[in-house]
Amino acid sequence: QWALAQYKEALASSDRFQSEGGAVTSFALRDGLTSLESQFDVSIAFKDDLVAQKTVRVSKKKYRSVEEGLDELLKNSGLTYEKAGARFFVIYPKKGEKTKPDGNLNSPLTASLTSFPLTPSAPVLTVSDRSDRARRFDVTVTGKVLDENGNGFPGVNILVKGTSTGAVTNTAGDFSINVPDGNAVLVFSFVGYISQEVSVQNRSVVNITMKVDESDLEEVVVTALGIEKSAKSLGFATSKVKSDELTINRTPNLMNALQGKVAGVNISSLGTGPGGTSKIRIRGQSSISGQNNPLIVINGVPIDNTNFGTNPGNNASDNSIGVRGGGNTSDGGDGLSSINPDDVETMTILKGAAAAALYGSRAKDGVIMITTKTKGDTQGIGVTYNLNYTNETPLDFTDYQYEYGQGEQGVRPTAPNPTSGQWSFGEKFQPGMTHILYDGLEVPYVPQKGIIGDFFRNGQNVTNSITLTSTGDKGGLSLSFANLDSKGIVPNNTYNRKTLNLGFGYDLSPKFSFGGNINYSQEENENAPNIGQQDNTIPVALYNMANSMPLEILKENAYNAVGDEIVYSRFRNRTNPYFTLDKQFQNVRRDRVFGNIHVKYKILPWLSVQGRVGQDYWSRDQDYNNFPTGQASRAPAPAGFVNGVYTQESRRFREINTDFLFSANKTFGDFGTNFTFGGNHMERRSDLNSVQVTDFVIRDLYTVQNGRAKDPIYDLNERAVNSLYGSAEVAYRNRLFLTGTLRNDWFSTLSKDNRSILYPSVSASWVFTESVSSGLINFGKLRVAYAEVGSDSDVGPYSNVLFYNVNANLLNGQPVGGPLGGTLPNPNLRPMRIGETEVGFELNMLNSRVTLDVAAYRKLTTDQIVSAQISDASGYLNTSINSGQSSNKGIETLLTLVPVENESFVWESTFNAAYNVTEVLSLLTDTPGERITVGTHVFNGELRQIVGMEMAQIAGFGYKRDEQGRKIFAANGLPIRTPDLVNFGSALPKWIGGWNNSFNYKGIAFSFLIDFKLGGKMLSGTNFNATRHGLHKMTLEGREGGVVGDGVNEAGETNTAVAPVQSYWEVVRSQALVEPVIYDAGYWKLRQVTLSYDFTKHLPAEQPFRSVKLSLVANNVLMIKKWVDNIDPESFGYSSDNLVGMESTGLPTTRGLGFNLNVKF
Amino acid sequence: DEGFDELNTNKVRATTLDPIIQLNAATLGLAFPTATLIYEVGVVQQVISPNSGVLTGANYNQDNRASTQVNWQNYYQNVVKNTSDVISRTKDIPAQSNVYNMARIVQAHAFMILTDTYGSVPFTEAGRGYSDQIFFPAYDTQESIYPQIIQELDQAGAALSLSGKIETADILYKGSIPQWKAYANSLLLRAGMRLSRVNPTLAQQVVAKAAPAVILANSGNALIAHDANYTNPIGNMLNSTEASNFFLAAPFVNYLKATGDPRLRAIAVTYVGAKSGPEQTPANASSDPAIQVGMPMGNDNAGAVKAAAAAGLASFYEFAQVDRRRITKLQAPNFLVTASQNLLLLAEARNRGWITTGTVEEYYRNAVIAHMNQISSIDPASTIPQAAIDQYLAANPFDPAKALEQINTQYWISSFLNGPEAFANFRRSGFPVLQENPFPGREVPFINRLTYPNSEISVNGENVGAAISAQGPDDLATKVWWHK
Repeated sequence: QWALAQYKEALASSDRFQSEGGAVTSFALRDGLTSLESQFDVSIAFKDDLVAQKTVRVSKKKYRSVEEGLDELLKNSGLTYEKAGARFFVIYPKKGEKTKPDGNLNSPLTASLTSFPLTPSAPVLTVSDRSDRARRFDVTVTGKVLDENGNGFPGVNILVKGTSTGAVTNTAGDFSINVPDGNAVLVFSFVGYISQEVSVQNRSVVNITMKVDESDLEEVVVTALGIEKSAKSLGFATSKVKSDELTINRTPNLMNALQGKVAGVNISSLGTGPGGTSKIRIRGQSSISGQNNPLIVINGVPIDNTNFGTNPGNNASDNSIGVRGGGNTSDGGDGLSSINPDDVETMTILKGAAAAALYGSRAKDGVIMITTKTKGDTQGIGVTYNLNYTNETPLDFTDYQYEYGQGEQGVRPTAPNPTSGQWSFGEKFQPGMTHILYDGLEVPYVPQKGIIGDFFRNGQNVTNSITLTSTGDKGGLSLSFANLDSKGIVPNNTYNRKTLNLGFGYDLSPKFSFGGNINYSQEENENAPNIGQQDNTIPVALYNMANSMPLEILKENAYNAVGDEIVYSRFRNRTNPYFTLDKQFQNVRRDRVFGNIHVKYKILPWLSVQGRVGQDYWSRDQDYNNFPTGQASRAPAPAGFVNGVYTQESRRFREINTDFLFSANKTFGDFGTNFTFGGNHMERRSDLNSVQVTDFVIRDLYTVQNGRAKDPIYDLNERAVNSLYGSAEVAYRNRLFLTGTLRNDWFSTLSKDNRSILYPSVSASWVFTESVSSGLINFGKLRVAYAEVGSDSDVGPYSNVLFYNVNANLLNGQPVGGPLGGTLPNPNLRPMRIGETEVGFELNMLNSRVTLDVAAYRKLTTDQIVSAQISDASGYLNTSINSGQSSNKGIETLLTLVPVENESFVWESTFNAAYNVTEVLSLLTDTPGERITVGTHVFNGELRQIVGMEMAQIAGFGYKRDEQGRKIFAANGLPIRTPDLVNFGSALPKWIGGWNNSFNYKGIAFSFLIDFKLGGKMLSGTNFNATRHGLHKMTLEGREGGVVGDGVNEAGETNTAVAPVQSYWEVVRSQALVEPVIYDAGYWKLRQVTLSYDFTKHLPAEQPFRSVKLSLVANNVLMIKKWVDNIDPESFGYSSDNLVGMESTGLPTTRGLGFNLNVKF
Repeated sequence: DEGFDELNTNKVRATTLDPIIQLNAATLGLAFPTATLIYEVGVVQQVISPNSGVLTGANYNQDNRASTQVNWQNYYQNVVKNTSDVISRTKDIPAQSNVYNMARIVQAHAFMILTDTYGSVPFTEAGRGYSDQIFFPAYDTQESIYPQIIQELDQAGAALSLSGKIETADILYKGSIPQWKAYANSLLLRAGMRLSRVNPTLAQQVVAKAAPAVILANSGNALIAHDANYTNPIGNMLNSTEASNFFLAAPFVNYLKATGDPRLRAIAVTYVGAKSGPEQTPANASSDPAIQVGMPMGNDNAGAVKAAAAAGLASFYEFAQVDRRRITKLQAPNFLVTASQNLLLLAEARNRGWITTGTVEEYYRNAVIAHMNQISSIDPASTIPQAAIDQYLAANPFDPAKALEQINTQYWISSFLNGPEAFANFRRSGFPVLQENPFPGREVPFINRLTYPNSEISVNGENVGAAISAQGPDDLATKVWWHK
């Protein structure tokens, strides 16, 4: 808040301030400033939050001048001042010290009129150089300068361009200045704000709004454990996300809105519906077969991010939770999906191990730190209402052949032929042809194009949120409620999320404060769509539907009067999409409460202690019919029952973190020191009740009581980690910083001998512009860091023991049982270790017109717990071994340019790019070529880790070729496959990044973001099926008379053998010869377009709105370039890294169009 | 970290299990997996599908690794895994000697199917992932495996003792020691006969030893009695996803028809006038042997359409099928070792002079009777009256001049739906005489073995590579040791 220290208050404190002798005293900075005002009869303007909480210690008796007083009082405060008028001083932060105002809509910089002590009639201050006095300027211009929140802005310098005549705004932001003529240009300036030149153009009143110069400010960064640090002291890379980025162009899962925006952070929205998972990888993935999810921390305390994504074929262990009993491959969402973006005040992404070292084991893949709101941006009471609406249009990228229709072996289904349904190896379309489907339904034999668009509906997301805040001098609170209603593109899929958030902070005394936040969310996800598999999977059935199969026929004939699916294809696992739509259901409901409370006590001015307890609790009820009664792919039930499978489960999860932290700050001459010491106890418990029943007594009554065979499960998991940690920072003259941390973790999941692990980090930062002065470079910093982190994250509880299980149902009265699962236990697992070195530099040049942040890192992950596929002849499928080693190397850059900047037009261009390569150095041994399989494709092909190669190699059989590279064909004309699986390359992108351009023309803000991921490969299951079913355009080859493959026969002669067309293309399935469907997975997309306008200045004075801002938003706007046929490379949704690149048909991606309306009262 | 050990102790899961419960899982795993219908049963030309994709197999004589690997996965993951665990947990406990030896017998049975299917397979080092941390077992040649299987069966069968604990929870024989001994001896007889070409001396020796105490009555058959919760895998497939896609093959139907075999009525069905799968309804079902038409070998979908037209059928959905409502119903038993099979092996052994009791004809006739009664036991609607049996035997008398052909052709019929055994005995004996699969896209005229799983090539490449270089290419043509 802008405020002038008050005379009245000053009286009380001035005595103390004035009367002391030589003793050192300590008092509030605010009081000191008030005293100066009264002593020297001047006005001192400052923003409240700059001064609040600051204390000063001085030994000076009296000040000879106000300047001397200010010099002394502000000495170590990071603030400085400017004399803006004869009796008027303005305080602002020193460069590099200012709290960055986040640049968000809800900036805390809003002035509050009530806090102004001076009446609007206060004198208008004018300063003029004596030499100008002689000149008589007759034209007087008055006006008002507003800050970015529309409040009067005191202390702004106004200069008549080309003269030394100037003025300063008063406490209300008003000014008056004499100018030579109507063509004069006024220059408005204030430190930390963009200078604006305004032509008077014969006006007598000129009003302007100052804009924060974001690039000029340096941030305070919230680092691990919620410790705030000046950004320049950091020796590692962090990225700060503006809350605008989350709220204006929003997505149901908040992280998806950040795709392409943060250097080095790879975010994939999975094509799994609005309640689905967001896959986030920071600096690539390092774990060979385990999990790579970043830790989510809210207000300093970790929350759970359990992933209920779909992971069929995941052979390794990444602790993702699957679905029981088959028939359901939907994405049940993750922990991030329950966060309301409106509650986010700031989000900081800690990328490297050094940044995250204090979080220890769970932070090995980086940390996403979210700070939620605890007060408003104005004194008193504030109300903000936000409405966001987007309409999601499904995008159809299929480019199938429509020359030959439904059928097999070149024959269309005509009586008495079979129904084909999923094959398009029929006859050439000719006018007047018909074919027979569904036992005698005769329909025209014509192409059916656009069924993707016809089947799916437009999705809709509507978010209403309202935030109430109360802010006073000693604290505040923020209460918000938000409702997100989402309609998925699958016509029966809806997602609703209600969140209630309360954040608060209060200073009970200058020494004692407390704060906290509580977040309650309720999510209901109905009928999250199945993807990737066959049974009940709408996208797979639809994308492979014979190209002359009319949708209305499928719809009208989905099931008979009883409700049994009518067989439309001999391929019964390709359930009729309309049967799935009408008969299968799934309800997921999650109630979640997370939050924490902290108390902080200042034992001494330089020593404080904080205690904190945080809990994340959720319960999740889920029920679904894996196989609805009457599904054609299921066998009938025994007499007296109807078939079907139904599952009902309930999970409860609780994580409690208890921690304490001592912090000490002390300055010794040129050296500033900062020590922290703390400890944490983490305890997690989750349990599960699940009952699955098969076959029912009463049809369509999906309850466990109604089931014939019942299979109940109860499971309980508990784990705990104890930690002690500390850090020490030494700063030399505010330009050289050295920080070290040490942490010891004790893991309950490991054996006594392996339980404890100690790991250090050290980082240094050198602000070279503080010592090297250059006109070109305004700010420059070099940083270097090394950190180690240990982790048990890929070790589940109890993974040291082999468990046995007895099947729920007896076989003819006798029990049947055996070892649980296919993973061999290993009792000797140790924590894995990560060592990461990073160097970086930051530059700010040409007064923030150019800023550059570059980081390079090398991360070595050793002792990885490798979940390796082993020979099943051993009896087991996988085992966990502590031998994996991998290295990530990469560079991240963030370059911001401001090519144009004047009073009416600003163009800012931001380019971020990250290059990352991860190499597997060791698996069971470090022999090059040694490999493990971590995941298998639903259809054919697999994902491997191979020593000496890039991580995540896609492998499958390829074409056998001769020495000249020609394909070799067998005598029957079919291609011969390679004797062994071949590696087609890594599925991981090497390059990710984005290019954002924002333009602001007289308050109209327009921005667009282009993002890219390049350099990865994919095995496309959609194209696999499109090929074997005759939909892919390449299968047009050989429709008449068969295919003569281009290559040689086994004798080396030119191949002349003719292969039947269907058999020729079916080799992808029958021979697992997947080479034809391996693609480059890269893309360039126009990701977001936003157009915003702030209507506040057009609002009449007498109305309740404080600000009104409207944005038009578009998401996933345009595919600029891709390499894979028929699909969006992003449209598949396995959350596991062990399945990366193993595409199997997911939901079509959508283009979102909508608006965001933000109203403040 | 006080209390961490307790925290990391699971409170709800078992860390041990009565070994018989685990042996039950292994025994259940002996049931023939669905893919045997795609390969083995089709190789011997009894049941085929004209469809491609996942159903590609013996219908086209092509290598479809999604199906060739299924025996491997089933027998290692379900049987060997459990038997190995039982064996390692019980081998030093005298009180559990019976369950230990039962596990050895079940394991030997599984290994026999595995090596018959693929040739060289992991044997010595197999199933020892948990007990010995062997993750990538080496392969043993079939030549070295067979003597060990024989030894295991011999020793384990002999070691079973009435004075030991009787494992009444056993799903095969309720722990009956005599029946388990007969089962072990039956497998021994089978193993011995398998070597009749490659090592007649050993074969004779083993057969002579085993013969006196094998299963000779249907009541002693080793079978998995499927129930509503543990359904017959083939029955399940034929009643669900592939309900209308598999047909009785012409060579089988024609042989049964030509010999007036009453078993045709008991196992076959045709859906008169069916133009599509869903038209295969009970209402138009007929088991009349006269109108059963087997699907000719070597047809894909288009070929089947032509073949149906040529046979005067409404569509290929009218070809004869194994009746999924009777013989391959969901709860139909899986016959692992039967009296009929044993009697036929004894007939051949007697014919070769390897045993001296009984007559060839006696064995032969009893085998036919036993199999017909066995079929009757599956479903009342498949009952074969004694009169029909007598009539069949009268019409098809045993002809010593064609002894081997007759015996092994009967073995073919007796092993119907026991794909691995029918396939093995066909390769060993060369009977019945079947024509090459004429499919134009075939990779081989006859399938001699199945190919290794892709997973082995992927993760156990060195060992599988060594096996391939010793045995021959990993394709459908390479013959296993006893077949050479």
